[in-house]
Amino acid sequence: MVSDRLKKVILRQLDLDDFSIEDSTTASMVPGWDSLSHVRIIAAIEAEYGVRFKTVEVLRVRNVGDLQNLLDKKVGV
Amino acid sequence: MNSTNRASRNLQGVLLDHWRSHAEKTPDRTAVVHWVAGEEPFRWNWNQLMGTAFRYALRLREHGVGKGDVCAIIIRHHKNFYPIYIAVSYLGALPAVLAYPNQRLHPEKFRDGLEGMARRSGLDWLLTERDLEASVRPCVSRPGSTIRGIIFPLEWSEEGETVKTFPQLKDSLPEDPCLLQHSSGTTGLQKAVILSHRAVLEHVTRYGESIDIIPEDKIVSWLPLYHDMGLIAAFYLPLTLGIPVIQIDPFEWVSAPIILMEAISMEKGTLAWLPNFAYNLMADRIHEEDLSDLRLDSVRMLINCSEPVRAESHEKFHRKFSTYGIRREVLAACYAMAETTFAATQTAPGLESRKVFVDREALAQGCVQIVEGDKGGRVCVSSGAPISGCEMRIIGEFGEVLSEGSVGEIAIRSVSLFDGYRNNPEKTEEVLKDGWYFSGDYGFLHQGEFYIIGRKKDIIIIAGNNIYPEDIEDAVSKIPEVIPGRVISFGIDDEQSGTEQVCVIAESKVENEAGKKRLRRAIQEAGMEIDVSIGRVYLAPPRWLIKSSAGKPSRNANKDRALRELVWK
Repeated sequence: MVSDRLKKVILRQLDLDDFSIEDSTTASMVPGWDSLSHVRIIAAIEAEYGVRFKTVEVLRVRNVGDLQNLLDKKVGV
Repeated sequence: MNSTNRASRNLQGVLLDHWRSHAEKTPDRTAVVHWVAGEEPFRWNWNQLMGTAFRYALRLREHGVGKGDVCAIIIRHHKNFYPIYIAVSYLGALPAVLAYPNQRLHPEKFRDGLEGMARRSGLDWLLTERDLEASVRPCVSRPGSTIRGIIFPLEWSEEGETVKTFPQLKDSLPEDPCLLQHSSGTTGLQKAVILSHRAVLEHVTRYGESIDIIPEDKIVSWLPLYHDMGLIAAFYLPLTLGIPVIQIDPFEWVSAPIILMEAISMEKGTLAWLPNFAYNLMADRIHEEDLSDLRLDSVRMLINCSEPVRAESHEKFHRKFSTYGIRREVLAACYAMAETTFAATQTAPGLESRKVFVDREALAQGCVQIVEGDKGGRVCVSSGAPISGCEMRIIGEFGEVLSEGSVGEIAIRSVSLFDGYRNNPEKTEEVLKDGWYFSGDYGFLHQGEFYIIGRKKDIIIIAGNNIYPEDIEDAVSKIPEVIPGRVISFGIDDEQSGTEQVCVIAESKVENEAGKKRLRRAIQEAGMEIDVSIGRVYLAPPRWLIKSSAGKPSRNANKDRALRELVWK
């Protein structure tokens, strides 16, 4: 399940007040989440959680659920 | 540079002659390195590449593909893309690379665009992946469709006899068309540019000279091959001159920009072409620790192209990567477009692209007054001098040729100029006059070099892609709460990202905050459906937009007003 904290980081980067973000949400479903903003969002998540993603890890992420799982592994949840 | 060391000499005949010659003379030399993040790269040598292309050509011929047919290729980053492309050329047919649809692009919009393109460009065949079949099949079955069939070449077995000689399958002449490429845009209104073998070979020869290209060069590219910069600079140029090219997936690169640096470092890349936003993206988003094992000293030119060149982008890129071997003199630029095959100008190898500070007020009046230092001046970066075989003029409002120091429209005459847009005499007539191509870009000449500073057309350029504001306005106008026809869209500079951002102003009667919030969302979603990210939306009350004399909202007047008055949301 996508945490509120992760949702907030994503929405803040996209300058969105509110948008439903679930495990199955893909970037293409969210206004403003395009290939350029994607790199910005990843960087913001890394800064928020103090983690670093590897190139291949980032490329394997297909939806927000994958992103949350990757993040959980990094922070040791 | 000793001319005997150059890779480019006078190239004659047709493109395939040169590709076959590489396969016969240097069969083991690397032709294309297909790069996939996290995997061992796949290396095509010339013998394998042309042998596989030959086998694909025989299969395509069995399907009915023949000389002069236009074959749209819609295939994602795949190692067999390259032999498939060459196979089309083998048959004397015309390859036309089209963008694989982004997930956010609505399937109907993609299909409409493809049908429009098929009608205008006369597409005969679609070479694509099975995943797209459901989307594209209706394009073939509809009455009046020009498309004769869909072919899935990636499904064919790669096995076959080793080919040692590469017989000609079709005779072609230098004047015959060799490829079709589309001007960027978001719909089926893209203009199709046909280029001949002669034009491409002239361009490859002369452009290669302008960058002192040598056989030891290696090109590294993440550029999409549906764009002239990727197709000509990072595909035709290396293939024709027999120089290795490392091809990276554009989608992978934009998600993880470090990939370009890894490829340069591992393959000892020397040349790359990049749109301006890429300099910002790599400077801002690549972590220092990811660079610790990389060296970029092999690079001799990074050529900024396809977007206005920004001095601050070069500066921040150099600051970030100088420690890893990027020297100031590798920061080059060129001015290019599909209509001239690719480059019209190029800055000199071994020298950083020049920059000048010009008085802003004088520039707004069309005069170039160089000012000392950066006090109040606008910094302009040179795109270089015309390459051999290319002449350029600055044209004034009344068609007069302007002298150095004046701003006007850039017109180009070139040995590699296109002959016109396919099936589009009206558009051709608008831009091609007495052998001169009127680019629609504004610029000036200073000490023999051209500086591009703006556009006559309202095109928005985002990350090297041209977007027509009309497409966005049409999409937004269809939203019920927006007053029909009372929408304008334009681009504004976004210094942080080094490219432009799309802005929309739409008139609406909606007054309450909740309704406005919903409407803003609907506007952004309308943009998503045509694969455009709308960065800023302003909802204006009725009659806010300033009309032009023709009675339609004026983009320029409203953009000026918006920049003066609005607080964006």
